[in-house]
Amino acid sequence: MKPFFFTRIQYTSGNWDTDQRMPSNLLHSLVEYTTIPVDEKEKIVQLSSNEIFKSPFCYLSGHKLVEFSSQERDHFKRYVQNGGFVFVDDCNHDIDGLFAKSFEQEMERTFGPKALQKIPNNHAIYHSFFKFEEGPPTTTFELNGWGDDLVHDYLKAITINGRIGVLYSNKDYGCEWDYDFRNKRFLAVDNTRFGVNIVVYALTA
Amino acid sequence: MSIILSESEAKALCQKVLSYSKADECEINILGEERGNLRYARNEVSTSGSLINQNLQVQSSFGKRVGIATIDEFSDESFEKVVRRSEELARLAPENPEFVSVLEPQTYVKSSGFFESTAGINPDKRADAVAKSLELSRAQNLTAAGFLDNQKGYSAMMNSKGLFAYYPSTSVNFSLTVRTPDGKGSGYIAKGYSDVNKLDTAAATRIAIQKSLGSVEAKALEPGKYTVILEPTAAAVLLENIFFNFDARSADEGRSFLSKPDGKSKIGEKIVDERVNIYSDPTNPDLPASPWAGDGQAIDKINWIEKGVVKNLIYSRFWAQKNNVKPVPTPTNVIMEGGTATMEELIKSTKQGILVTKLWYIREVDPQTLLLTGLTRDGTFYIENGVIKHPIKNFRFNESPVIMLNNLETLGKSERVVSTESNQNYLIPPMKIREFTFSSLSDAV
Repeated sequence: MKPFFFTRIQYTSGNWDTDQRMPSNLLHSLVEYTTIPVDEKEKIVQLSSNEIFKSPFCYLSGHKLVEFSSQERDHFKRYVQNGGFVFVDDCNHDIDGLFAKSFEQEMERTFGPKALQKIPNNHAIYHSFFKFEEGPPTTTFELNGWGDDLVHDYLKAITINGRIGVLYSNKDYGCEWDYDFRNKRFLAVDNTRFGVNIVVYALTA
Repeated sequence: MSIILSESEAKALCQKVLSYSKADECEINILGEERGNLRYARNEVSTSGSLINQNLQVQSSFGKRVGIATIDEFSDESFEKVVRRSEELARLAPENPEFVSVLEPQTYVKSSGFFESTAGINPDKRADAVAKSLELSRAQNLTAAGFLDNQKGYSAMMNSKGLFAYYPSTSVNFSLTVRTPDGKGSGYIAKGYSDVNKLDTAAATRIAIQKSLGSVEAKALEPGKYTVILEPTAAAVLLENIFFNFDARSADEGRSFLSKPDGKSKIGEKIVDERVNIYSDPTNPDLPASPWAGDGQAIDKINWIEKGVVKNLIYSRFWAQKNNVKPVPTPTNVIMEGGTATMEELIKSTKQGILVTKLWYIREVDPQTLLLTGLTRDGTFYIENGVIKHPIKNFRFNESPVIMLNNLETLGKSERVVSTESNQNYLIPPMKIREFTFSSLSDAV
């Protein structure tokens, strides 16, 4: 089995270069909990390049505008329709933010108005490795210990032939998992465990 | 009889009270204090207060049955009355399974926390100190609200085994919020000392004024992880949650951030950056404190965290006995060693970051990781290429002080600070921290 590698999608609009320590924490969890062989180095691939089609798993995030060029749009669509998997995470953890609005519009343009749908909290992705009975785990960005919590209790996805091709989160997992790996030991529960589910789902579903 | 007793007066009084005791064991605690304060708001003095308090507490025990009674009348009749009442209560009480006998006499280190300068503060001196602050805020058409509070007092204890402890102390606290007339800018300062001669209300006011003027027209910055410089006032309210949780029992019982899954504590383990040294020392001249704990145990210098490693935990006498270790008393002060950097150097060395001058309303989210939440307030600033660029809107944060001390970049010089949450004084350095988590924006000023 070829080692799993983590691909980050670089796109021309907005900013793609976020939560830089996140991949290493996620890869660390794959090593710790699974037997999946892992390539430790994150791969950064331009969406307009053909390299994208070689990746089993892609990650796309940002804070700002998402507006694909025609080639980027074409690649994104073909990649997903041919069985690729993209995990998209809004760094603003905000359903009204620029990233959220523009990305959702971009998905409408690319896959049609109803393509992006809420997935149920008993979806297979919540059981693909660890069990998350309540659906997506919350982040500290949402649970701020006060009455102004903005908790997104669902994730959205574009499903192609019964399998998720684009998993879309407003929860800002990327920033939640973006810390020095040495600090992982201070967490009561390793918060990147859901990342393991996403990768396992992407590779096996 | 005066309210503040000298050592010999306190001793004589305790002996007198003790002479009425018929219990197996008896312990007397007394305290006397005089406080004064001046409060101002909207640039005018609003209240001037004074408080005199004296208390006597008697704890009697028969076997493992304990009763405590307190009184604030200091007459021979009252002394006998309070002793009898504590004995009645002890006879009625169920046996305490965690009972430990009163302590044998102890030897205490010398700590000088009583300053004549502070003891001599009167309403005139308070008015002068506040006038200096008011002049400055009025002159710039800013609105000041502040509180000046001074205290002198003593506490003493004696028990039927011959232990006697006495500690006199003074303190003065000054806190001030300055607002701009449009309400968009706010600056805060809090200073606490044992010796009032170190308090400069004008200098403190100038800092609060500078922060209030500088924080107008704050721009919103996106929540996320940022490098922060925490002024000691901001750092204190986070770090004291570490200090409050040094108890061995809660660690052993799995209730604290110092618990391990196997039912043991993290004593001996490195939990933070190796530049972190936290200790207690009642003889520290900048933060003098009582050399004895509430139960009469002597307090010497105790290292809590040395080079990032947990060295000691607080063992109550009961928990120590149960675990066959030496008891470690609850400290009366906490000091975190600093580095050499000045605030200016910390700012100058920062490419992109946030200067946090105050955090408030701190609440615990998870006691086992010490995850805390709260808000920035009264002046938060964006730093770029070594200079303060502009004020920013306040944030809510989500951070554990343990993780924070692992993300330590630079330590400044320790200074005495007042916690805006607990009012405790500490010696704490300013610090530069990587990846501090701000979770959302706040509209507060």
